Formats: sequence, structure tokens, C-alpha cells
Amino acid sequence: MIYGVKRVITYLLGTDIAGRSLAVYPDDTFIVSYPRSGNTWTRFLVANLMHPEQLVTFANIERMIPDCEAQSSRYMKRVPRPRLIKSHEYFDPRYRKVLYIVRDPRDVALSYYDFARKYRQIDDSYSLTSYVSDFVGGRLSSADWGTWGENVASWVYTRNGQPGFLLLRYEDMLSDTERELAKVAGFLAAESDARRLTEAAERSSADRMRSLEATQGDQWVATKNKRSDIPFVRTAAAGLWKTKLPADSILEIESAWGPLMKNLGYGLANNGSASSPDGSGITDGRVQLVREHI
Amino acid sequence: MVRRVIDEAKRIFGLKSPGRNLAVFPDDTFLVSFPKSGNTWARFLIANLVRPHEKIDFSNVNRVIPGIEVTCNRDLLRTARPRIIKSHQYFDPRYPRVIYMVRDPRDVVVSQYHFQRKRKLLDDHYPLPEFVRRFIAGQTCFYASWGEHVASWLSTRHGHPGFLLLRYEDMVADTASALSKIASFLGREPDPKVIAQSVERSSVDRMRELEKSQAQLFTSTRDTRQDIPFVRAAKAGGWRSTLPEACAIEIEEAWEPVIRWLGYELVFVDKASPVEGLFPISATGGPIR
Repeated sequence: MIYGVKRVITYLLGTDIAGRSLAVYPDDTFIVSYPRSGNTWTRFLVANLMHPEQLVTFANIERMIPDCEAQSSRYMKRVPRPRLIKSHEYFDPRYRKVLYIVRDPRDVALSYYDFARKYRQIDDSYSLTSYVSDFVGGRLSSADWGTWGENVASWVYTRNGQPGFLLLRYEDMLSDTERELAKVAGFLAAESDARRLTEAAERSSADRMRSLEATQGDQWVATKNKRSDIPFVRTAAAGLWKTKLPADSILEIESAWGPLMKNLGYGLANNGSASSPDGSGITDGRVQLVREHI
Repeated sequence: MVRRVIDEAKRIFGLKSPGRNLAVFPDDTFLVSFPKSGNTWARFLIANLVRPHEKIDFSNVNRVIPGIEVTCNRDLLRTARPRIIKSHQYFDPRYPRVIYMVRDPRDVVVSQYHFQRKRKLLDDHYPLPEFVRRFIAGQTCFYASWGEHVASWLSTRHGHPGFLLLRYEDMVADTASALSKIASFLGREPDPKVIAQSVERSSVDRMRELEKSQAQLFTSTRDTRQDIPFVRAAKAGGWRSTLPEACAIEIEEAWEPVIRWLGYELVFVDKASPVEGLFPISATGGPIR
């Protein structure tokens, strides 16, 4: 009851976190992904592409592409339209235009483990294997966004192939940032000459983001008051799971989501299906997916 | 602002139906479907199954199987656990166990058209083809489009032990066997006598009779047009005689792979591509033959 009253007051003042109760407008565009899948990098890329006149930093990113899971309803309402919004939500039919980024869940799990320690959700003694079991079993604090498989599948199989949906793989963005960014520019109907793409990619490089984090970590809503000995901008690499993730954990992830991973072009280490020749774990440069009009 | 205050006050006291904000318990089972897919009939069947000593009708079905869109939060919290809860929501990761009912979208659209006329949301002259276009775009209700609804659940949960997929058409063809499956899913010994009795007590004739006298006692029929029935044809394939060909073609083209994956025949659109890899599901959850 007291909790209810408190909720109502924050709701009436508009200071509640927007999240899933965000009021969605038909001209909104969303950058959606499961956590730890390159969403912040994509926000930097897009913001730098759309605003070449100013450098994007952790201090101003929330103004350009606000995070609906960190900002209040009131803040979100005041963002000038058309809005570009960051979200980790699983399928929401009200989102009409969605840029969805997917990343190999084996790398997501590794990254999430460091992130959970940075956020003090687990301490350093909590083992990686237990954490992966929680990740697969949907027992993380982020379970409201579904598991990795649920989040990805709920978007890809409802929307892929439709005009208001662009699916990108984090790994493709790493291997050819400008090519993937050109797709984003086309999707957003933004200017995309080669110089602008290159500039946006440079201004959003992992090195630059790392040095920004070093000075601005306490100014950004996602890194404020968190452990500063673990970085938010981590390796920014693909395929680290091959050396860092225990075999049992790899097996656990692949048993849970093998068919979905294969559908997205992530080769499996188990079940006899060999990984790709280039060793990146990706069997095909393009995403082979379900047909249109689901 | 005043309305918001009143709404919020109602919410504090639990007088509003929670919808997606429902507090989910780990032992909840959900009966989920897109609207107009046989959900009320299934509620009658299941309620009669779990309460064999109490005849289920429109006045008490909401108490045995409350719905998150119709039952207020206070009553939902007071429902004895483990709860069986009706929902029309698209995928929600918090639902631990789900009985998912699906029905041929060509029948669903016809049924929804009549239901919205009954609820005075459409007048009798509203063109069906226009309704079908809005139906495909997901604009006829708040639960996403039919294709999105089905895909959001099947792609995330089909093949998992906590998910039971039922086709309305199979339930019509062999109600007792479908109800036995539900009973096992609910962890009950399917007693043939109770099953037969539940089927009998949920027959379309009995439901039609009950609707006549109890329309004002049931949330979905209260204050609606009484010249259009809520319990309608209760058959499969009625669209073949009532849905214009052009509309059926539009639906088949919009959701062709999903329709075939569910084992429904395409009548106008010719497609032969395999549907095996359509949803990324485990080996136990292939398409329906």
C-alpha cells in the first residue's frame, strides 16, 4: 500500500522510469538490443552520424538518443520529435520502427558477467559458470527483458523482413563499420556520404569511447556510482568466448539456443557443426533468416 | 490530471484490471490466445475440469479462471493459488507456464468483425474488407497483429516443457482428447468421467443457452448488442462461405509461412517452400502436420 502510494506520486510527477510504460509515438525510432550487444556503440555511431556538428560524449548522449530504461516518463515526453530512443525491451508491437542489434550470446554472456560485477550485482567470487547458468535460465536481474533467446526471437520472428525493421549483427558492425552504418543511414533516411560515415565511425571508435569513459564515467547515468575498476567499454571484440568461456558454459548456451544461433549465422562449437573457416564463429557474412511477412 | 488521479487511486485499491502489469507468481498457469480464438470456451472446459462439483456458467467462470484484462487486481491477488489465468497478451517473458490456443486467422477475423459490431465499435455498414486490412496491420485490438502474436509466442516458447500449443480446430474435432492434454499439462490425472462431464457442460448449445439469460453477468457481453451472439458459430472453416476471396488472399499472403506451419491449408496462395526452420525451436517442437 505504501509502495503503491509512492508509485502513484512518482507516476503523477512523471519521475517514474519510462521503461515498458513509455508513451510511444508513431514517429519514434528505436535502437533495440539485448544488454551487452553493442547498443551504446550504435547510439554513438548514430548520434555522430546525425549530429556531425558536435562531438558525441557520455555527457550528451542521453540528450540525443535517450535511454527509455534510464530516463523518466517526464524526460521522455520532452524529447523533441521525431525521437530516437534506446531500449532493451523484448517485442513491443507499439514500436513501429526498430533497428535491432544482435550479438553472439557466448560473447554477450562474458560481457554481462563483467558488467554484473561492475554494477555490484555479483561479487568477484561468483563463478562465471554459475553466472552463465543464470543467464541461460533467465535468473538475471534483467529477466524482465526476457532471456537472450526470447528477446532476440521475439523481435526477429515477428518483424524481420518488414520495412520498419533493420537487423544488424554486432560482429558485422565490427568487421566493416562503415558498410553497416551506411545501412543504418539508409534506414533512418540520413545523409550518408563516405566522409560522414568515416567520421562517425572514428568519433565512435572503441579507443575514443574508452578515453571518454575514463573522464566522464561519473557523468553518465549507466556508469555513475558503479565500480570504476571494471570498464563499461570493454574489449569491443568478437569471438572472445572461444578462449575465455568454459566448455560447459558454451555447451549450456548452445543447447538452449542452438537453432536460433544457427539461424542468425553463429556457428556452433558443439553438435558436430564446425565453426566457420575464418574462426569468427560466423558462417556467413549475411544473416540468413526467415522469410518475409511473418 | 483529475482522471489520472482517479485512475491511480483505483489502481492503489486494486480496482483496475492489471493487464501487462499483473504480478506473476511462479506457480501461475496462463491460458493465452489472440482474441476470438476459443479462449472463453477453453475457460469453460478447464473451469469445469478443475471444479467438477460446481457448474460453470458466465456468472462464475471469471472467478475460477480470472482474466488479466477483465478481473480487477484485488480479485486476482485473492484468487487461490496455483492460479489459472486468462490472457490475450502477446509474448510476456514472466509467464512461467502457458497453454497457447491458436485459430485459423481467416476465421478469427470474421469472428472479431462480428464481436466489434456487437460491442458497438463498428456499425453494421462498416466494410469487412476494410476491417481485414486493419486486422492484418494489427490495428483492430491492443494485442499486436495475429501474426505477431503467434510468432512472438511460438518463436520463444514452443518446444519448451512449460508450453502447450493447441489448435482451436483440433479442440472442436476432438474436445475430450484436447482436454485430456490440458489436464495432464495442469498435472491432473485425466479422469474420463470428469472430462466427458466438462465437455458436456461446455457444449456450444449449453453456452448459447446460458448466454441468453446471463449476458449481463459476463464482462465480454455486458452492455453489448443482444441481437448479435457472443457464442457464435463455434466451427472451423466458416470463413470459406463468409469471407470475400480478396480478403482471404490478403491474409494468406500476409502470414503465409505461419499459416502453413500451423497446418492450415492455403486456399488461394500457392507456396511450397519448407517451413521447418521457421521458428528457432528445439527438436521436440516442429511444425504441425
